[in-house]
Amino acid sequence: MFDLSLLLTGPYHDMLVKGLTLSLTLLGLTLACALPLSLLLALLRLSPSRTLNAIAWSYVELIRNVPLLAHMLFWYFGAPELLPESTREWLYGHDFETIAALCALTLYTSAYMAEDIRSGIRAVPAVQQEAGRALGLGFLTTMRLVVLPQALRVTVPPLISQTLNLWKNTSIATVIGTAELMYQAAKVETATFRSFEPFVFATVAYLGLSLLITGLGTWYQHTHPVRAHA
Amino acid sequence: MRIPFILKTVSAALIAVASLAAHADQLSDIKKKGEIVIGVLGIDEPNSFIDPKTREFIGYEIDLAKAIAAKIGVKPVFKQIAVAARIPELQQGGVDLLAASLTHNKEREAQVDFSLTTVVTGQKALVKKSSGIKDVPDLAGKKVVTVKGGTQEPNTKKAVPTAEVVTFENTQQAFQALQQGKGVAFVNDEASLIAEHAKLGDKAKDYVILPQNLSVEPLAFGIKKGEATLKAAVDDTLRGLEKSGAAEKTFLQWYGPNTNLKFPKRSFKIDSDKIDG
Repeated sequence: MFDLSLLLTGPYHDMLVKGLTLSLTLLGLTLACALPLSLLLALLRLSPSRTLNAIAWSYVELIRNVPLLAHMLFWYFGAPELLPESTREWLYGHDFETIAALCALTLYTSAYMAEDIRSGIRAVPAVQQEAGRALGLGFLTTMRLVVLPQALRVTVPPLISQTLNLWKNTSIATVIGTAELMYQAAKVETATFRSFEPFVFATVAYLGLSLLITGLGTWYQHTHPVRAHA
Repeated sequence: MRIPFILKTVSAALIAVASLAAHADQLSDIKKKGEIVIGVLGIDEPNSFIDPKTREFIGYEIDLAKAIAAKIGVKPVFKQIAVAARIPELQQGGVDLLAASLTHNKEREAQVDFSLTTVVTGQKALVKKSSGIKDVPDLAGKKVVTVKGGTQEPNTKKAVPTAEVVTFENTQQAFQALQQGKGVAFVNDEASLIAEHAKLGDKAKDYVILPQNLSVEPLAFGIKKGEATLKAAVDDTLRGLEKSGAAEKTFLQWYGPNTNLKFPKRSFKIDSDKIDG
């Protein structure tokens, strides 16, 4: 009944592997874009300037309170309509399904990660910041040399957890025709009329990497425990 | 998407279990319930769509399905389903009958039983006139958009192997993608394509349906595999409608010259549940 050979060799295997590769690429690229963006957002949220603070706050709340599905549809169907014709045509010629998914995932993930980074920084006692400033360091230098290294230990576990969410969220890109794992699984289902095999493949892939990410989080917490503040 | 994915996994497991257990005759279950649940697309003019005034489902397949329910002597209950959900819904018992622009093909015969063919149509491609594409072979190497889960994607690949096919959750999104220029052609059943083309209004003149068929599609109602008595009831009703001339009248009411589709006449008869190929 269960046709394992469908998953191990042949055109359907290739389709599923291609989907998995694109899902992993989406994960990697989104992380690479979302991490710096979320750090910037967290710093804006903590900066002494009220305006910067308000901008970052609005961004985080706007993004976090709209479902990812809506983000995907917006970046694929809505946003390009605001661009000039030539830019739009260029984008449509360059695998726009993946570009739109990357935009949606990056903005969505960075809003969550920014909040995690911000709480990590806030977990470092304010006196550390004050001590840095007393030594004559500026806001950003104090952040870089004093606060962020300490905050990192607190922040990494929740960031790993966000990475786990991101990995699962890549599957939503299927609605805009991005040929990731869920898209390819559905395609194999349509072509073979077998639902079980492609979705078992997808389940094992999602579960496998998710468990790996969870394991990484546990390992980090063991080897880099948060230092107690005196 | 996460939820349907879990549902699919779980339900696939459930089918495996359920198929082991013996099940009662579906026709007698329907009679006992006093209603027949009919899976329809509901957004697919002229087969099944919503009347903007009454908010009720109307269309060619709806009329035929109502006649079937009347013949069995039960109330028709219409349930709107997605293209990709049609066969799973039928297999899992979510619906008793599929009246959902379902193509009858050889591959699907292993999954479901088909009624007599209710309409014969073809799949075609709609393109922008400015694209310079004159017929189907010109689609080679181009991006083609269509809906997920139907026969559109495999048929496009068969007709134009080098085309890059991108699929969406529903026809509206695929059509939107064509209008925005994300693909050069939108592939769908001819009847749906004509209806969607007409909906463009003033802009319709900028688009054209390519003359060559990508495939010939016999549409039929889907019945759960092995439910011979239900199939007999459905086929008998259809045969009766054909004999009395009501079938042709219904076809012309939804597809005929006075509709958006403007089919001049009916070029087939409802008399067979066999297909070529």
